Amino acid sequence: MRKLETYKPIQARVTYKSPLKIKSDSLQKLSRDKRAIVCIFFLFIVFIIGIFSPLLAPHNPEELFYESILEAPSKEHLLGTDAIGRDVLSRLIYGVRVTLTVSLMAVTITFFIGTLIGLICAYVGGWVDNVLMRIMDILLALPSIILALAIVAVLGPSLTNAMIAVGIASIPGFARIIRGAAITIKSSGFVEASRSIGSSHSWILRRQFLPNVTGILLVYTTLFIGVAILDTAALSFIGLGAQPPTPEWGTMLSEGKNYMLDAWWLATFPGLAITIVVFAVNFLGDALRDIFDPKSSR
Amino acid sequence: MPNILVVKGLTTQFEGEKGPITVVDQIDFKVKKGEVLGLVGESGCGKSVTSLSILQLLDKNGKISGGEVFYNNVNLVSKSEKEMRGIRGKEISMIFQDPMTSLNPVLIIGKQIGEVIEEHEKVSGTVVKQKVVELLKLVGIPRAEEIYYEYPHRLSGGMKQRVMIAMAIACNPAMLIADEPTTALDVTIQAQILDLLRSLKDELDMSILLITHDLGVVAEMCDRVVVMYAGQVVETTDTRTLLRKPRHPYTVGLIQSTPHQSKGERRLKSIIGQVPTPDQFLQGCRFADRCPKAMDICHSTIPPLFELDGQTSCRCWLYDDKKEEVI
Amino acid sequence: MTTTLLEVRNLEKKFAAKSAWFKPKQYVHAVNGVNLQLAERETIGIVGESGCGKSTTGRCLLRLIEPSSGEVIFQGKDITTLSKREIKNIRKDMQMVFQDPMASMNPKLSIREILSEPLLAHKILRSEHEQLLSETMRLVGLPEEHLSRFPHEMSGGQRQRIGIARAIILRPKIVILDEPVSALDVSVQSQIINLLQDLQEELGLSYIFISHDLGVVEHIAHRVGVMYLGEMVEVAEKERLFEKPLHPYTRALISATPKTDPDEVKERIILKGEIPSPSNPPTGCKFHPRCAFTQDICKAIKPELREVEGRKVACHMV
Repeated sequence: MRKLETYKPIQARVTYKSPLKIKSDSLQKLSRDKRAIVCIFFLFIVFIIGIFSPLLAPHNPEELFYESILEAPSKEHLLGTDAIGRDVLSRLIYGVRVTLTVSLMAVTITFFIGTLIGLICAYVGGWVDNVLMRIMDILLALPSIILALAIVAVLGPSLTNAMIAVGIASIPGFARIIRGAAITIKSSGFVEASRSIGSSHSWILRRQFLPNVTGILLVYTTLFIGVAILDTAALSFIGLGAQPPTPEWGTMLSEGKNYMLDAWWLATFPGLAITIVVFAVNFLGDALRDIFDPKSSR
Repeated sequence: MPNILVVKGLTTQFEGEKGPITVVDQIDFKVKKGEVLGLVGESGCGKSVTSLSILQLLDKNGKISGGEVFYNNVNLVSKSEKEMRGIRGKEISMIFQDPMTSLNPVLIIGKQIGEVIEEHEKVSGTVVKQKVVELLKLVGIPRAEEIYYEYPHRLSGGMKQRVMIAMAIACNPAMLIADEPTTALDVTIQAQILDLLRSLKDELDMSILLITHDLGVVAEMCDRVVVMYAGQVVETTDTRTLLRKPRHPYTVGLIQSTPHQSKGERRLKSIIGQVPTPDQFLQGCRFADRCPKAMDICHSTIPPLFELDGQTSCRCWLYDDKKEEVI
Repeated sequence: MTTTLLEVRNLEKKFAAKSAWFKPKQYVHAVNGVNLQLAERETIGIVGESGCGKSTTGRCLLRLIEPSSGEVIFQGKDITTLSKREIKNIRKDMQMVFQDPMASMNPKLSIREILSEPLLAHKILRSEHEQLLSETMRLVGLPEEHLSRFPHEMSGGQRQRIGIARAIILRPKIVILDEPVSALDVSVQSQIINLLQDLQEELGLSYIFISHDLGVVEHIAHRVGVMYLGEMVEVAEKERLFEKPLHPYTRALISATPKTDPDEVKERIILKGEIPSPSNPPTGCKFHPRCAFTQDICKAIKPELREVEGRKVACHMV
């Protein structure tokens, strides 16, 4: 009864697009966004490096060169060697595999459980929402790395457990974001219309909620990959993640820190690798957010 | 009666993805002193943009690209933003459809109205408060002294619109632009607000430009009416003539499609098709595709506004002098 | 016209108001003892202003909102006692059209997907989908090509036609229309009203038409119920009601509706005061603070709906 429309020029134009067009529109916007292009290109190369690391690495990452221990970057060892004579470049290249697998697996855990909890909280509401969200709030009160630490402490230090821990630690933040997005959908007219038609709950969740949160899911999944890489590296750094001799960036960083003054290349290159990859992922996430979720970017 | 507001050839464009979109296209009308002029049309006809253009309150992506707006023979279009600020509220003020979003939720009512007075007049705090309470009483708010200290969310929709009206008339403007002032309100409250506007108009000797989609409101409030369709004026006449003897086929259709007009008939008369958006405006007469009387010329050439008598003008080829016998 | 299809008895809906812990719960009576009968092929209009409970009433009938008490008897069964599973079957026969067609459709789904939803929900054979889809599009006067469009590629009027199509695709018996034309332009509004009347004839539908617009209700309804603060104050045949409204509120409502006829004698009744909040309604007759004929009895005793001059009115003074 309240809304008889007056002309709103700006709104009118924004809404004249079909979702299909929005898809191609988003792609178009993405292709016009230079930082996104650079990031995607860079991450693609990192991915390729991960896949073809045996071909790309000059040496076996676990091969020991006794004659060149702690050697500075040279023609033979481009990024130098470590305290027991392993080639840093090769370890770094093999490290891509470990880092990417672990962080992607961790984010997969976050994604599925987080989305599920978020949607359930928003859709069911009431005490279910209250209980779940209070638990999430408690977990959110701890920094995700502390939470991950606690989980690894319980499960025992290993790469798999680190992965699980990192995945679980990100769930509260992720679930909260999804719940927030889904709650606005729940109060929308088309969900009520769907109920009035007699559609089942799972149908409403799948057909009415999911298509409307895909953009946000994409954005935050990307952003959480960055978090996962950092957390995994951090866990390995303190010895709770990847165990030697696995070539993992965090472990390498940790090993290198003892030689910071004598052999700067040991800590510097893994550190740089982590920084650049996380940077690229976050940049891409921000670009995606500008495209899919223009409201929150400002 | 002298004219207080004269709009001549006003054209407003908005930035679009494919170049500028003309939303208001060469609008002409006059508001006489002490008169209520109705600006009628459906959504997208450009009536609200017209009112925003008069006060230069357009968003950044919209601009006046042609025409003049004379207020007491002074052209407002050439005024700077600073000069316009002196005119808004003091000379011409405006009330909007949605009083809920036009009030600041964290300021008490009294302060919000007081600010308007302080902006335009140099008066002391106690005088301002006294004046605000008087205003609140004038717009029919009970317990004005208490309401002075209330926050907007504590008031009902009708009360908020009264507060908006109090703000608008705080500096005794000579002209009030009311953009769908009662659309968001219930019928019985709408009757109250219309009643209030009418009595304020006489009491304060204001002219009102009333923008509405509701012909019933026009019938009750307005002396003369400007009908807009697709960004253009299609008919200008006095209210009685408009409702009794509408000339433009669009106006005819609009009046006939109100349920009240087809009492006793099973089917309502209606206009076929949809209201066009600015990117769908036609080459010739913009109403041609929905018009039951469309001729060949209508599809090719935009009709000018034909002067029919001193009072009435109509943008329709049916009223071309040579074809007068057709009707 | 005589078989009763739906009967509502003493429908009540209380919403728990927000209250502090350990305090007795406060309730808002959104709907307070509404009675209704709807016959086959009949349109009953429910009019009233905001907060009168007309939309809540409509949603209670479909159990989109759970009624607090009362009976809704449809095909011999009391809907209010049915399980969630059984209610689904009822929804096949009772559908709803919403005010804002844009908001009531998922912007990410095509018209085909939107219209298929009821078919899938009620397990209609796949082989019949195409025929039902095209037939329904024809009924609401849209070309079949529009099936592949998305809601925002359509105008407001076309979207509401889709809203109606979704409601009638299962060929229900009753359609609850909640302000179906309020968001539309006047010239489009009349198209939709004509469409609703055509569909009623063709498909033998019964309508519950909820609106604040008396003009529209006067045109489309056979009988009209006027609601004020959760209660029916007057129920009558349309002609009777508009020719001679008895309840002071009905009278004020009719006189407050702007008419487009410049010569109509305007005997305007302007009500004083605001619509009271449903959380704190006046005692006795809820209309008494705004009524011009208030007596002491009105403040103390709530008037019951009773038969007066061939209609039902709840007022001590008539």
